[in-house]
Amino acid sequence: MGKYIAKRIGYMALVFLIVSFLMYSLYNLIPTDPARAELEAQKMSLKPAEYEQMYQQLRQKMGLDDPLVVRYMRWMGLWPDVDGSGFNGLLQGNFGYSQFFKKDVVDVISAPMGNTIFINIFSTILALGITIPLGIYCAVHKGRKIDNGVQVVTMLGYSLPIYIIALIFMFFFCVHWRIFPISGTKTAGAIYATRWDEFIDMLYHITLPVIVMTFASLGGMTRYVRSAMIDALSMDYIRTARAKGLKEKVVIYSHAWRNALLPIITSIIGWFISIFSGSVIIENTFSLNGMGKLYWTGLNNLDFELVLAIQMFYTIVSLVGSLLMDISYGLVDPRVRVDK
Amino acid sequence: MSNKKKEFFLVRWAKRCFLGDRSELSTEEEERIQTPMRAMLSSFVHKPLAMMGLIVFLAIFVFVLVGPKIWPLDLSDQDASLTNLPPSRDMMSVPKEMLAAGVADIASGNTYGLGTDVNGKLYIWGQTRVTDKIDMADIPQEVQDADLTYIAAGTDHCVAVAADGQVYVWGNTRLQQDKFTTDMTKAMKKGGDAWDVIQLEASNQFSAIVTSDGNLYLWGNGNMADIKLRSKYEGKIAKVALTENEYICLLTDGTVAYTGYKDKNSPFAKIPAELKGKTVVDIASTSKSVAAVTEDGEIIVWGNATKGEADVPALSSKPVHLYGGRYHYTALLENGDVVSWGNNKYHQIDVPDAVNSADNIERIFVSNYQNYALGSDGKLYTWGLKGFTLGTDSLGRDMLTRIVNGGRVTMTVGAISVIIATILGVLFGGIAGYFGGKLDILIMRIAEIVGGLPFIPFAMILSAVIGTRLDPTQRMYLIMVVLGVLSWVPTCRLVRAQILAQREMEYVTAAKAMGIREGTIVFRHILPNVISLLIVSMTLDFATCMLTESTLSYLGFGIPLPTPTWGNLLNGANNSIVIQQYWWQWVFPAAIFGVCTICINLIGDGLRDALDPKALER
Repeated sequence: MGKYIAKRIGYMALVFLIVSFLMYSLYNLIPTDPARAELEAQKMSLKPAEYEQMYQQLRQKMGLDDPLVVRYMRWMGLWPDVDGSGFNGLLQGNFGYSQFFKKDVVDVISAPMGNTIFINIFSTILALGITIPLGIYCAVHKGRKIDNGVQVVTMLGYSLPIYIIALIFMFFFCVHWRIFPISGTKTAGAIYATRWDEFIDMLYHITLPVIVMTFASLGGMTRYVRSAMIDALSMDYIRTARAKGLKEKVVIYSHAWRNALLPIITSIIGWFISIFSGSVIIENTFSLNGMGKLYWTGLNNLDFELVLAIQMFYTIVSLVGSLLMDISYGLVDPRVRVDK
Repeated sequence: MSNKKKEFFLVRWAKRCFLGDRSELSTEEEERIQTPMRAMLSSFVHKPLAMMGLIVFLAIFVFVLVGPKIWPLDLSDQDASLTNLPPSRDMMSVPKEMLAAGVADIASGNTYGLGTDVNGKLYIWGQTRVTDKIDMADIPQEVQDADLTYIAAGTDHCVAVAADGQVYVWGNTRLQQDKFTTDMTKAMKKGGDAWDVIQLEASNQFSAIVTSDGNLYLWGNGNMADIKLRSKYEGKIAKVALTENEYICLLTDGTVAYTGYKDKNSPFAKIPAELKGKTVVDIASTSKSVAAVTEDGEIIVWGNATKGEADVPALSSKPVHLYGGRYHYTALLENGDVVSWGNNKYHQIDVPDAVNSADNIERIFVSNYQNYALGSDGKLYTWGLKGFTLGTDSLGRDMLTRIVNGGRVTMTVGAISVIIATILGVLFGGIAGYFGGKLDILIMRIAEIVGGLPFIPFAMILSAVIGTRLDPTQRMYLIMVVLGVLSWVPTCRLVRAQILAQREMEYVTAAKAMGIREGTIVFRHILPNVISLLIVSMTLDFATCMLTESTLSYLGFGIPLPTPTWGNLLNGANNSIVIQQYWWQWVFPAAIFGVCTICINLIGDGLRDALDPKALER
């Protein structure tokens, strides 16, 4: 198992390097010039010749004239800096400098990242807590009215785009009944007595986004669980188990559910990644201060290093997701020997 | 059989895919052996939900396919006078009680009408809401009680003059629409001849009164409009015509003059040379042009007449009166005929035949896109813009037009992306599945990387980076390619898995034994057996691609405005004002799009169930 994980991590690192290089080169297609942006403020106070000289110096200092591969490796932290002071890149924790926010990327993304992870994990747990029991229930009561009803609702969940669901929920909860605030992560102008109050206020603000994300992700997952369970329940060993006189609960949860888990695990990971993707839309719709909103802002303002850093975050999320999927295969199903 | 004409190979291939090789079978055999495709279709038609989905989807599809011909899209189209209108068709629905009592006067605003009957009762109809607080239909009680002689309807305010000279203003009064000038209040106090109103006009946030002693009083929002009168024209005014921000006057000596202070840079100040030495009997104005009728029946138009206002048709007799709408003129001729010309977007110049055959038209009331003609027998004819079935957006564009055209764009993008994704998926899946080995590993690793990328952020970055130097049309193609290139992985996996299974079948062994090339075996022998599965996945992918395109457009990284798609119609809908007050701007696009994707998913699910007999047990 350990060997297998090491191998997978090595593979992940390779994929990460390839993707990051592709992204970096793609981003170099944008005609931006950080050196010029840096000097823009002083442009008026300098003589043209002086300005040109400073500009060239700055280009030199930033290493903008080096080949693409060198710049990429420098950014990644695999190549010494221009001044030879050593490695200083992504791998050393230097995510670059945001031209738009005029701050280090680390400082820009730390708070939103916390928000995004919090919201996503929260809604994932909530969605799994609802879909798995619901899917099992529907599979066991297949063909009944309640099952058909759930089928219709889940159909809506995965057919409607998430922002339309968000608009409908906003209409009812924010505008019509005025239960939840329509945007933001905290009450405007609020001063909190304790950190606990602040946390409660944030929970209040993210409740509706979490409900929307959960609702939107219910559809696909419930259907997966249901069909996996139906497959498992139609197997011969279920008949055997029932013939043995086992309790129905044991048959369902111990015999069928464990066998249904394997296909479910596959879809859970893909679904988890798609939740992170979907949070870009939710955060923009609800103006939440998260990674997705930041990503959107960065892209709109062509903030090169910020967007790259966030893109790397998304890539890592998906890579770690697929690693977890492979490992959990082995844990769930002893027949699958991943360390072979 | 042998002398049968050889069909083109593609035709044969398609037949084998979809119909099976029927020609060589007797009926009995045919019943026994059905291609998976035909079995699927015959099972599909017995699924009520899926068939309903198919019918609704086809209806929507035909609607967006034919719709753009009926409601053509004009990308540069926008109209400040028609913004945020709710769905309605009642802009010219004159109240029945008013018609029954007999129409005395009508004043038509941009989206509403104001009228009095012969008993002096005031009526208002059409879209009268200015903001959520201000509604012009809330007519003050004192106005209801007053004996009104003149009424006028402006963009967002109404004006009325009573027989005793009292002037009432209601509607939006936040921009000084009700603030009379000092000269005016003085004249009002004096009364008598000094305040004998002979004309009342209202326009975009300003109003004008002409009195019988030749004075003109203008008041309202001076920042928007030229509402001053040069003192040398005092006492010489016979008639006034208001454009959107300016005005011209007909003087008592029969000449036309620009009497305001903006004369240096106003297009109206240059009175055309044709008018020199001629007596003008009537003037009229549209929002951007003015026109004058001379004694000998000539109509001369000047100003920014860019929408055909200056194309005066040949008239059958001398014009008596001239009226101006927003971009069109309507003239009442001596022989009783009514002629309209100018912009015809809302059929505002299509004078009904009934009007011209009536021969007794007394008065015409024209404004914006509406025309009312009153016959001497009290009959009222209307033509022009009735309203918008699905409302308008924040730039005054018809939502119906945008939904129909947006649907076409969304469906086209979805379809082409699916085709690209399917071609890539089949190609890579076919190669990986049939040849295996290192090629398989390589392709599947690439698929893993592409499939593992978070979709929306990645599509956003591609669209933003490459899209910066493209024009809107190229950007639309870019979105198709990006969606196609990012979504081929599931198809690839599906095809590969199927081919791995089919490769071991006997017919492939037979084909190999006959010495058929490997590429031919994959694409012409195995693929037709996989095609039904492929169609199911294409159907479901179509919905996904449409969803993704609309999501990207919603975020502003898809098809750029002003080209409409079902996604970017909802761009900007996520604020409480739009959600609550302008509900039609998001409910209709969301509804049609939602119904469309639900139907496609129903069809896809139905096809999948029909294909997989095991699923029937589920």
